[in-house]
Amino acid sequence: MIIVRLEPEDKIDTYPKLNTVQQLLNKYDLFYTDALVIRDGQLLTQDRKLNDGDEITLRKVISVG
Amino acid sequence: MKCKVCKAEAVVGLPSHNTAFCAVCYDKFFMKQVSEGIRKKKLLEADDKVLVALSGGKDSLGLMYALSELGYNVTGLHIDLGISDSSRKARSVVEDFCKDKGYGLKVVELEKEGVPMPLIKKHINRPICSVCGKFKRHYFNKVALDDGYTALATGHNLDDEVARLFANTLRWDQAYLSDQGPVLPAENGFAKKVKPLYRVSEFESANFSFLKGIPYHHLPCPYSKGASFTGHKMIWRNQEIRSPGSKRAFYGGFLERGQPAFAAIHEGKKDYEVKPCTKCSCPTSVGVCGVCRLREQLADALLAANE
Repeated sequence: MIIVRLEPEDKIDTYPKLNTVQQLLNKYDLFYTDALVIRDGQLLTQDRKLNDGDEITLRKVISVG
Repeated sequence: MKCKVCKAEAVVGLPSHNTAFCAVCYDKFFMKQVSEGIRKKKLLEADDKVLVALSGGKDSLGLMYALSELGYNVTGLHIDLGISDSSRKARSVVEDFCKDKGYGLKVVELEKEGVPMPLIKKHINRPICSVCGKFKRHYFNKVALDDGYTALATGHNLDDEVARLFANTLRWDQAYLSDQGPVLPAENGFAKKVKPLYRVSEFESANFSFLKGIPYHHLPCPYSKGASFTGHKMIWRNQEIRSPGSKRAFYGGFLERGQPAFAAIHEGKKDYEVKPCTKCSCPTSVGVCGVCRLREQLADALLAANE
């Protein structure tokens, strides 16, 4: 199970399986420059593998005022 | 993905530059983008006394940090908009950041000034983002001049500038196209204004602030939903995905070839004179400045509401 916290929505989603950051981004129709992907306080590039038990923060970067 | 410089594991991939960086090399890349941007467009002098507008977001806080690291004399200015929960959080982030880093900070409270944004939104029938921007620019300039700062720096990034340029171009607004750019010189009662992040994208700015451990405020303004500015950013986001580097090319080309052409065209067409506002002495071309007129409208509306 992978737990994803979406920011700024402050919403939690869970996925039984995701292999890579790119697969995660695809779930939200995001390009890899649309959001920071954070695991254990570290940034992940789109090619990085995700593991069962990961807790990921997906922080969108576009500012709207 | 490996860092293009040192081959360590990359933490940031940048398609617009066809490269990727580890945290250490990304810091060098980002700081060079800022310092080169300042140098190339002569934004700041080493002895400038810089007032940095701090909203609490990634761009303004990252800018403050970067300018301080580059050795500039910086002080923060936060405008507390008076939007209950949102403004409290933003102000708290700014105050904590400045305290932690040892930066000076000035705060203007619109509630104390009699013009909190919720009151304006309730009583003035104009786009709130436009009115809010007008008040913010007014106080940025006023504090900079009143307190002897030689430059006012804002955290506008490449995406902000591209969206603004796109909006100005859609209207073929000669006046705005003639002076859009990362620096507006001090003149006619206006402080020098600079945008040192004009070469870095929103994504690059977010990565920098994250990697520097800057705990920025990342909740959107509750009043900004549906703003046209955001729509323009999304158009350019899609263009950038199709053609990486489009934003840099569009804005860079404008600064090099477009802006000078519009400035030349517009030079002979200026049919107004900037003078001090007859009420508050801030510069304006229409006798009573926009902020004083909004204050009058608000006072009239409040009077009518109480009758």
